[in-house]
Formats: sequence, C-alpha cells, structure tokens
Amino acid sequence: MYQGCPRVFNVGLNIVVGIKYVPNTTNVNIDPKTGTLIREGVPSVVNPHDLVAVEFALELKDRYGGKVTVLSMAPPHARAGLEHVLGMGVDEAILVSDRKFAGADTLATSYVLAKAIEKIGGYDLIIMGHETIDSSTAHIGAQVASWLNLPYIYYVTELEYREGYFFVSRELEDRVEMYKLSKPSLIAIKMHSRIPRHVRLENKLRAVLDSPIKVWTNDDLGLDPNCIGLRGSPTVVSKVEFTPKVPRKNIVFEGDVRESVRKLIQALREEGVI
Amino acid sequence: MSGKFPCSEWAPLMEGEFRGIWVYLEVYRGEIHEASLQLLSKAMEIADELETYVGGVLIGYQVDKYVDTAFEYGVDKVFLVDDERLETYYPNLYGYVVSELCREFKPEALLVGGTMRGRELAPNIANNLKTGITADLTMVSVDKENRDIILIRPPFGAYMLAHIKTRWGKPVMGSVRPNVFPMPERIPGRRGEVVKFEVKDLPMPGMEFIEARDIVKAEEIPIEKARVIVSGGKGLGSKDGFKLLEELAEVLGGVIAGSRKAVDAGWIPHDKQVGQTGKTVKPDLYIAVGISGAAQHLFGIREAKVIVAINIDRDAPIFENADYGIVGDYKEVIPILIEELKKILVKAE
Repeated sequence: MYQGCPRVFNVGLNIVVGIKYVPNTTNVNIDPKTGTLIREGVPSVVNPHDLVAVEFALELKDRYGGKVTVLSMAPPHARAGLEHVLGMGVDEAILVSDRKFAGADTLATSYVLAKAIEKIGGYDLIIMGHETIDSSTAHIGAQVASWLNLPYIYYVTELEYREGYFFVSRELEDRVEMYKLSKPSLIAIKMHSRIPRHVRLENKLRAVLDSPIKVWTNDDLGLDPNCIGLRGSPTVVSKVEFTPKVPRKNIVFEGDVRESVRKLIQALREEGVI
Repeated sequence: MSGKFPCSEWAPLMEGEFRGIWVYLEVYRGEIHEASLQLLSKAMEIADELETYVGGVLIGYQVDKYVDTAFEYGVDKVFLVDDERLETYYPNLYGYVVSELCREFKPEALLVGGTMRGRELAPNIANNLKTGITADLTMVSVDKENRDIILIRPPFGAYMLAHIKTRWGKPVMGSVRPNVFPMPERIPGRRGEVVKFEVKDLPMPGMEFIEARDIVKAEEIPIEKARVIVSGGKGLGSKDGFKLLEELAEVLGGVIAGSRKAVDAGWIPHDKQVGQTGKTVKPDLYIAVGISGAAQHLFGIREAKVIVAINIDRDAPIFENADYGIVGDYKEVIPILIEELKKILVKAE
C-alpha cells in the first residue's frame, strides 16, 4: 500500500462528530388537504451539512492521524445513516437510541449527546454540521458546548492543529475571523465548505462484517428518565396551524410571449415598480 | 403553565418573579446591529401587553457609548456589563455573562437577533440557564392571563406554523432572523435607566482571537436591501441560466438571487439565498424565474410588494403566490422582456 510521505507530526486527534438522520426534505411533498409532510416513500438521509462535518473530520484524520467516531441520537432506522459514514471511512459509529429519548427538544437532545460524548471520553475535538435541513435550529453545537463547558465556534472553514492548539478560520457574513482554541473544543463547520467523499464499498463491508455500530440505550447512559425526551424538554409544540397565505393578484399571461411580456410591463408600470 | 420541572439533576431558572422583555444588543463593527434593533419593535409590543419594561443587554468594553441609541430605539432599561476582559467576543464567555445577567435580573423573555454570531450565541445562553429556546421565530403570541409568551416558527419548510410553549424555565428565549420585524421608530432624546453590572469570576474563554479580515466582495447591493430582485431556481437548468437573469437585473437596476435548490446546486452563493433558511427580502419587485414556489421560498418573499413568476409549468405553485405570471420557457421570455424593457427605458430618457 502506498504510504506517501511519512507523517512528521503523528500526534493523532480523537474526533467525535455528531450527525442527524433526517427526512430528505428537499424532495418532500405536502398533503394539500392536511398540510402535513407526506413521509411515506420519503427516504431519510444523513443531514447534508453533517456529511460536510464528517468530511472535515476525515481530512483532519488524514493529516494528523487519530480516530473519528460518529455519534447520532435517533430511532433504530438511523443505522443506515451510520453505515453511510462508516462507508466514508469513519472508525466507529455509535447510535444512541431509546424510546425514552423521544420527543426531546434541543435542550434535552443536547443533554443526551453531551452525556454520550462524556462516555466516549478522551476526545480532543467535537465537530458538528452547520445546521440540519429539517429544523435548521443550529442549536445543538452551542448547547453541547455549554453542557461540557467547552470553548466553541461556528462556521469553521479551516483548521490547523499546531503546538497542541486548534487554529481555525471561520466565515461570518462579511469577514473571516481566526481564533486559537485550546483542547478539547467544539466546532461547527460552515455549510458547503467541503464536498463529502464517496462511500467506499470496502469500508461499508467492514461495517457490516465487523459491525462496529454500537447501540447505546439509556441503560448504558444511566440518565434520569425525567431529564430526557419529552419530560426533560422545557419547550413543547402547543399548536400547529397553516402558514397564512399572502394575498396576491394571481394574474397569469399565457400564449404569445411578446404579447404577454407587453402586458406584464404595462401592469408593472401601473404598479409603479418599474 | 407552571408546575415543577421533573428532572432533579439540572433545573431551569424558575423561582421568583420574572419581569421585562429583553433584547440582546449585538455590537458589531462599531454599532448596534440592525438585527438587534429590529427586535425592539416586537419587544415593545410584548412589553405593552404584559405591562412591563423593555430591557437591552449591552456587553463588551467601552460600550456605554451605545446606551443612548438603545434608549432612542425603545429600550427602557439598559443592562450594561462593561469590562476590559469582554473587549473581544467569545461565544462561551458572552454566553456566560448574559446568563449571569438573567440570573440576577430575571427577565421573562430574551430575544436575540439571528445574525451569524447571534445564532451561535443564543443557544449557549439558553443552555446555561437550562431554559428552552426557539430558533427563527416569526411571530409572538401573548397569553395575558397566564403570562405566557408563545413563540411561533415555521418548521419543515414553512408550510406550517408551530406554536412553541416554554413549560419550564425563564426567560422564554428566541432568535429572530434579520428583517423579520421592522425597525422601530427612532425617537431622538428618549432616555431610560442604565443598570450597571459586574460579573465576578469571569471564566477564561479557552480561546483567543487572532485576527480578522474583511471578505472583499464586489460592490453590490445585498439582496435584503435591493429594490428589484431577479431570482432563479432549479428550473434554470444550469448555472449559465443566471447570466440571463443578471442581464435582466441590470436593466431593472436590481440584483440576482436564488432558491435553496439553486444554492444547493452551487449555481449561486448562499448569501444570495432567499427563503426560510436563507434571507427574508422586501423588494418592490421580485421576479421568480424557474422557481416552483416551495413554502420555504415563499416565506422569504412574503414582504415583497409585487411578485412576478416566469415558469414553464403552469401548475407550479409559484403562480398561485404571484401577482403576475408568464407561462413559458425563460430562455424565450427573458430576452424579449429585456428587449421590451429597454425600449421603454430609452423612451423615458
């Protein structure tokens, strides 16, 4: 096997990546009668922004050595998502799964994740995605950092590990900032900043054969059932309603294009917007 | 609703009387961020209904100079933590300071502007206080009788609105994307009370700011400030389609933008994404080209004055949500539109 240059700094980083398995909402349809998501036939995927986080972690492992562990709190069907990232080359996958975790808001979810990360132990760096495509809260990273009392930073695009510190660049709306973070820290990766690598069959086969997906239930974490799931959640959805539609004129021009364009321009002039 | 928090290992803040609607005033580039000031209009409404005051959280070093601005935009009481050690923003350090302020002065609500830094900071504050937090709320409903503040947000692509109730914990916390609420009127000379606070035992942030450099962008109007927006979606078929849109935008003195699908396809950068997970825009004229009209997109253009849809699919939901529409292939429609517009624009000169 080609080894390339010998590693100069074979220090190794112990990295934990949090991922979420979500319905692929980019292709989701809505039942026009009830207004609810039609989940049937909608495949779930690993949240695309989390795949970027996994890619980021694997690149760090390629550069500095070490180990990448992926963690997800989800129902058992999320195993497929963990197999996907194992196929990308992560070393270990842990599914934290228990009915008792159901109905959790972001506070109760982050509590379980933080406790699972404590159980993993010995971590240098925790990596999260930018946000999820299903709820887009971007809460979990900052909450896990609070539970574990860690320095943290969002929107990271680059990271260098030197002299025992993480030197990161992150991108805000209008500027790039550079920080030096001590170990351990938590970072969230800016969306679209990496292209996730493909799944390799040999990696996936290893996942199936050696079955490195660990499943932890609440028996393994030993958390008070009053602190997790719906019971441990300060927030609940008290009511759901349709988004009110903004009234619009709905005038549609069809047929001859030039004629339609002229009518449109006429209308826009009357509206005073051109 | 109150009642006891069932978890004994960690408990949210809930003892005592909580009063005041607070807004975190983010200082960025030498001023209070507009996204924070916009929240004051909503905070004043809530405070009126609950007959309480509007609080403004101002932390940093030498930030007392922003106090008057806060008052003039509607803050009644500024909670000021001015400390040399807070000169640089670190999310965990600022998160700690804001949560200490909340423990001391017990506000019943805290709103944070959903800038990139705000979205990074707010969940940390909430977690320190073990209270709930709602991201990207768009409406607030007040239940006066129970003194409940319900935060409303559109989950799952904006088709529905979820009312989020905080059962335990104070303050009720939420973040709000820029431009969701209007800027309050500035009343010159309006003044209020300054409450100075010192945080004892400031923790070390465990991180160090090194440097920052501005992202040099072509001089262009950001989409949230544009008067005319020509926006493209998946229906454009390729990145090249945006060239035609740019031409149209230029004729109209506008800018281009895109739907989430166009951004995901890499045809247009994320800072030009319109919609629930992108930006809320308020142009006079919004032209949606090849955009089907998913609820999450419509959410970002609900404040547009006039919406025009150009789409080959007569059944695309965008037509039901537009003022004017042309059914046709954009590659045919837009060149003619440009041509006809040029005629009248020349005439006008």
